[in-house]
Amino acid sequence: MDVEKFLVSGYSGTRNFNQWEVPTANATGFGAAADDYMERGIDLNEQLIRNKPATFFMRVHGDSMSGAGIHDGDVVIIDRSVKAVSGKIVIAILNGEMLIRRLEKTFNKIKLVPETPKLAAIDVDPYAEFSIWGVVTYSIHSV
Amino acid sequence: MKAIVDCNSFYCSCERVFRPDLLNKPVVVLSNNDGCIISRTDEAKSLGIQMAGPYYQARGLLEQNNVAVFSSNYHLYGDMSKRVMDTLRMIVGGDKVEVYSVDEAFLDLSQVPVNELENLAMEIRNTVEQWTGIKVSVGVAPSKVLSKVANRLSKKDKNATECVMVLDKEEKVVDALQRTPIGEVWGVGRRYADKLRDWWGIYNALQLRNMSPAWAATHMGGVTGERLVRELRAEPCIEMKDPLESKKMIATTRMFGKPVTELRDLREAVATYTSRAAEKLRRQYCAAGVIQVFVVTNNYDNNYSYNPQTKGLYSTLPRPTSNTHELIREALPLVEKLFRKGSRYLKAGITLSGLVPDDSIQGNLFVPHQENLNRLLMETIDNVNFSMRDDMLKFCAAGVAKNWKMRQELRSARFTTRWEELMVVK
Repeated sequence: MDVEKFLVSGYSGTRNFNQWEVPTANATGFGAAADDYMERGIDLNEQLIRNKPATFFMRVHGDSMSGAGIHDGDVVIIDRSVKAVSGKIVIAILNGEMLIRRLEKTFNKIKLVPETPKLAAIDVDPYAEFSIWGVVTYSIHSV
Repeated sequence: MKAIVDCNSFYCSCERVFRPDLLNKPVVVLSNNDGCIISRTDEAKSLGIQMAGPYYQARGLLEQNNVAVFSSNYHLYGDMSKRVMDTLRMIVGGDKVEVYSVDEAFLDLSQVPVNELENLAMEIRNTVEQWTGIKVSVGVAPSKVLSKVANRLSKKDKNATECVMVLDKEEKVVDALQRTPIGEVWGVGRRYADKLRDWWGIYNALQLRNMSPAWAATHMGGVTGERLVRELRAEPCIEMKDPLESKKMIATTRMFGKPVTELRDLREAVATYTSRAAEKLRRQYCAAGVIQVFVVTNNYDNNYSYNPQTKGLYSTLPRPTSNTHELIREALPLVEKLFRKGSRYLKAGITLSGLVPDDSIQGNLFVPHQENLNRLLMETIDNVNFSMRDDMLKFCAAGVAKNWKMRQELRSARFTTRWEELMVVK
């Protein structure tokens, strides 16, 4: 039993595996030829989550970002540690409401731009309660 | 130097991360069963809402002022706590963090040059808030007790301190101690605080620091008092604990949603708590030799007169075990002995003690893998419950109906731990 895996209750990647988990490599050292090529497989957590404590998931309702490939019902992955620069898709907070939009920053203006003709871009009032909750890094879409 | 990082109104802050409309608005979180207020924001505090006050008494005030009220959502708080602690580990290193409670951690900053402490403390505060959305206060000082003093003061006046206080000079320490009433010093209970004031005229932490360690040893409970005074004098005595140190005792206890009067419900509750405790036991590779069951009754007719009485019984196991069914088998006869027809039970709980390392778990590379079948069963149950949640596999003794389960009427969604309950964004 891998002690570390047990004590760290959260997800800790699949980097640690021992000989018992590799089926054919027994203690005699005579394993199948394929053992030399044994890999640990693809792990989506590793690919999609760069900074675990700062990563959150949210579900998208509506078509506000459908032009960017984010559709109604999709799940987006948000990384709060990524810097919100102009052009990123972000979760923004405007007057207490959470919105998913593309951030457009110019030297004196902030815009929240949807990716659908149905909605208009929002010019953020400099006196509004505005902040960025996090930056969207991936979208999970069921096909 | 040591630091303590403490989350500001932690449970309320967790709720606010997913309710940005509640920023700068009063929020409170209720205890298990919606009994009393266990977390409040500064805005709620300034409305005169008391910490640990019963919910039904504060209800008028809460509604009048439009305070957002939440039942406790331990799934969310547990996950957010882990994120905060992981963030701290990433900043200062995993072996430098001692998790002290769900919302506090001590950091060992002995490797950090003194002139960089202020910057590091601010970086910690900023990074934790940026990554997790949780606001924290950071107190830095030469000892744990002093770091607690610094932390308390940084929270008191958030605008002036920006939630960071570093006591890196003697005059700062003196000033901070002067502003700390004796009852607010970490480790001084109310009884000691009264005694120090009435008998010795000690009103603040500075006065206590000026007493000698020898005096503290005679008048403040021996070595504990002496250590406290030394810590106030910036001589670190309370060292960082090994974060993996296992617990000496495991307890599981809950209030019931409504008073329980039937033996069957009481048995189910105790069996459920036993399962939970056994799971915790296995997680630290231990077996328990002693199990204690206790029940709390309130036999007054009036619902509001709270005069609880606790009764308990214990039993020594034939051999230490971590198997749920063996523990339940010991616990249930104790419940039957404790049960009195006509009593109203408010609460029940179990404690496991006499903990020893569970030898059945240690494997040996050179011995054929002989699996203990019970062990295999428990591991399977734990793995299924861990991945499926909500006690997917359990012993029948723990019941199916659960009439006694706690009330959580105002709980928010489990935004970070359940796929079906994710935050919705438009």
